[in-house]
Formats: sequence, C-alpha cells, structure tokens
Amino acid sequence: MTESPPLLPAPDELTSFFWEAARRRELMIQRCSACGTYQHPPEPVCHSCLSFDLGGAEVSGRGTVYSYTMATQAFHPSFADKLPFCIAVVELDDQPGLKLLTNIVDLQADGVNVGDPVEVCFRALSDAIDLPVFRLVRA
Amino acid sequence: MPKKQRVAIVGVGYSTVGRDTGLSLDTLTAQASIAAMEDAGVKPADIDGVVVHSFPHQYVSATHTAAMLGIPDLAFYSGSVDGAAYSMAALHAIAAIASGSAETVLTLRTVHRAGAAGGSSLVPGMERGAPGPFQFTMPYGSFTGSHWAGLYMQRHMAMYGTKEEDFGAFAVAQREYAIANPSESFFTEPLTIDDYLSARYIAAPLRLLDCDYPVDSSSALIFTTEERARDLRQKPVFFESWAMGTTQESDFSLVEDMTQSSPFRAARRMWSRTDLKPSDVGVAGLYDGFSFIALQWLEALGFCGIGESGPFVSSGHTRADGVIPTNTDGGACNVGRRHGANYFIEVTRQLRGTAGERALPGRPTAGVVSNAVGPFSGCALITAE
Repeated sequence: MTESPPLLPAPDELTSFFWEAARRRELMIQRCSACGTYQHPPEPVCHSCLSFDLGGAEVSGRGTVYSYTMATQAFHPSFADKLPFCIAVVELDDQPGLKLLTNIVDLQADGVNVGDPVEVCFRALSDAIDLPVFRLVRA
Repeated sequence: MPKKQRVAIVGVGYSTVGRDTGLSLDTLTAQASIAAMEDAGVKPADIDGVVVHSFPHQYVSATHTAAMLGIPDLAFYSGSVDGAAYSMAALHAIAAIASGSAETVLTLRTVHRAGAAGGSSLVPGMERGAPGPFQFTMPYGSFTGSHWAGLYMQRHMAMYGTKEEDFGAFAVAQREYAIANPSESFFTEPLTIDDYLSARYIAAPLRLLDCDYPVDSSSALIFTTEERARDLRQKPVFFESWAMGTTQESDFSLVEDMTQSSPFRAARRMWSRTDLKPSDVGVAGLYDGFSFIALQWLEALGFCGIGESGPFVSSGHTRADGVIPTNTDGGACNVGRRHGANYFIEVTRQLRGTAGERALPGRPTAGVVSNAVGPFSGCALITAE
C-alpha cells in the first residue's frame, strides 16, 4: 500500500518566513517591529499597536503544554497510519499567552500532561517543508 | 426616532429532518418557514424582515428566501455567515425589531448533513496545500471541531479535575429527555454511563457521544413587536435580555482561556441588562454541538461556580428535577444538529406551554438559551410575560 502524500501548508507572503525558518530548523514567530509584540498566526497588522511593520523573529522554541488531545480518527488519508497522534496547544516561554497549535511527538507510554515543558523539533514533510513540532523536555 | 420595542417570539417551526432527506437547502428552508408562519398565524405579507445564518459552503440567501416565500418587501434583511450560528440570526432580528427597523422578522438556520464533520474537502484551493490560517492547523492533523473540543475538555479536566464521567453524565441526562421526545429525537434507547465510556474516542477525551448528530434540517422562528404579538395565535414569550461575546483571538484553538471563553463575556453582558438572576430561570437550552460546551455555559451563566460544572452535572442538576433543567428536547446530540435554533424553539415551547408531555412541572417563567463557544457566542434570556 502506498502512503498517502502528506498534507502540506501553502506558504504565502504573510507566512513564508515561518516555513523558510522551519526549513533551517528554526522557529520564527511574527513580531511587530514597532512594539515588539509577537503574534501567531501571522496577520497583516499588529493587533497590539496596529503597525504594519512586522517580520519574523526567532523564538526560544521552549514552552509548556496548554492543552492536548489524542486524535484517534483521521480526517485526511495521510494521517491514517499515524493514529493515535497528539495535537496540542503550546504556550511559548517568549511571551505570556503566545500559543500555537502543534503536535507533541516521540511520546512514551506515560504520555503528556498539561503544563509539561516542551521544546521545538522538526519533522520533514517533503523536500521543501519541515514542520515545527514539539517534544517533552525530560528532566 | 421609533421607540424601543419589546420583542416577542410568536412562531416556531422545523422542516423535515433526517440523515439524508434528499431535500435542497431551499426546500428545507421553505418547509420550516411555512411551519413557523402556521404556528404564529401570520402570512408572508405580514413579514417584513428575514435574517438567515448560514455558512459559505451551504449558503442560504435572505433575499432569495423572501422571494421564494412571496414576501413582497423587506424592511430589514441580513445574511450572516460569521459567528455563533442561529443565535446570530436571532440577535440580528431582535436588534432590528427593538430598534424599529422591522416589525415581523423570520429567522432561519438551515444545514445539510454533508460536510458536517469538516475536513479538508471544505476548503477551496486545497490542491495547492493548506491555505491561510489552515496551514497552521491541517498539517498537524487538526481539521474539525472535534479537535479543538478535545483540547477544551482536556484543559478543563487539568484545571478543575473534571472527569470524563462528568461529560458522560450530561449525555445520559440529555438522553432521558430525548426518550420523552420520540417525534423529534433520533435516539430513544436509554443511555448509561457505561455506554458513554464504551463509545469510541474521536479526539480523546472527546467521544462520539459528545458530538451533535449531523442531519439535514431547517429551523425557523418568527419574532415581532409586543403589540403585534398580542393579536397572534400563540401566547407570546419575550426577549428580556440578549448579548453576543467574542475573544481577542479568533482561532478556536488559540483563545486566551479555553475554560472561560466568549460565553463568559456574553453571559456577563446579558445579566448586566436585566434584573433577573440565574435563580429566576427554570429552563435552559444550552448549545451542545459538543457536550462540554453546555458545561461551559452552565458556569458562564452562573448556574454553578467556575470549574464546578462537572460535579454539578454528575449530581443531576440538569435533569427535570434539578437546579436547571437543560435541553429538555434532548439537545442536538439527540434531535440532530439544528445549529442553535432548537434551544430557542424548545425553551419557547416550555415557556408558552406547548411542550406537551415534556412540559416541566410548574411551568417556568424564564428560560435561557445559548449558542457556540470559544471565539464567539450568543445568548438570550426569554420570559413568559
């Protein structure tokens, strides 16, 4: 059985910095050059000061698990052989409330808990796309 | 400047409802509209407003609906595709009547089962990859409401010790109501907590039995002024207070606080505009697109303390003899997805005394209805007089 091709993102002018950074194995989040506020996902304007002067800025890649769910049903064929897998919201250490949706990978039998520390890592989806995901920071 | 009008619900109606009716969105819409007009005792020429909520992939036009029904002239119309499902149609119509912009308004929510579970098929341009905001969700396997629902439930469990059995207790209580509503419910077999816990996970801790039941349906309600309502067929019920609420973040998965999302804002706003209190309310219709949403509304509306909805539900307080009888028609998990409208319809029936064998003892004089969760929501307080 051939594997279903992965569901890829379609980078656009607002988001290409994120995917180009991921290709370099860096996590970059949109940041306002005027007031320094991070926001995700990227928007054309800063929601904090309404500046249009925005760019990507590298972040620590560290955060905590805000919440998670174990997906047990695939809604796209490319996920059928990955079940169950962990979809999570991670709050980054770089700014209170700065969150992104992601996967927690490499989970062991003891799973994951809300509040667990995590760090970014990357999974190649194609020759052009690496996906930023997170793994538990083991004590 | 017209004086502010008190707004009444005078007619309610449903279309044929089923898993696969074979009926078009327009046909369903016409059926529900005609049923509501018959219930109210009004004719198309009496209606001067139409407000529809629909989603772009299942768009229903307000102006076309009016033309289809022979409504000669609209003083007010709105086709909302944003936000909290049927409650948006209701709140737009209330605002229109209260402001004097229209007198008698038909409000509608029509849905087709197809595509109900979401997924990549609904997003245009997917052949080039997940576009726009979807590029930050779909590559992670997050496609549908079930995924953010699992996240919301897990967060509540982690913050407050809520148990899976608490969500199950809500499903069990709703099924008891559904059994008493055989003409509308798709499920009339008793449900036990063990049945709930044996249902498969979709996105753990979310189980199949936490999800509303996708159907083809159209729901219609007719609102009018108090003066006009007094001359119509049914005993009118009245909107006492109403409100919308949103969060700063518009993505379901990224709202600031999953356990206290927009319902807390809408509910606070609604209560600030009335002298009534939660203890005055005898019946509730709380959105159960996923069962946890009703639990968040119980907290937001003040029927129990913050974080306490799990034990509250498990103690039976949403049952007919409980603190706040909730979703007495069986809720959308049983009567199917009416996308917010069934709460307004069932609470209306309980308040005006047309709930038949499901009528609550000592007819309640006030009820509350709610719709949606997360980034946007709406709610309203309805009274019998």
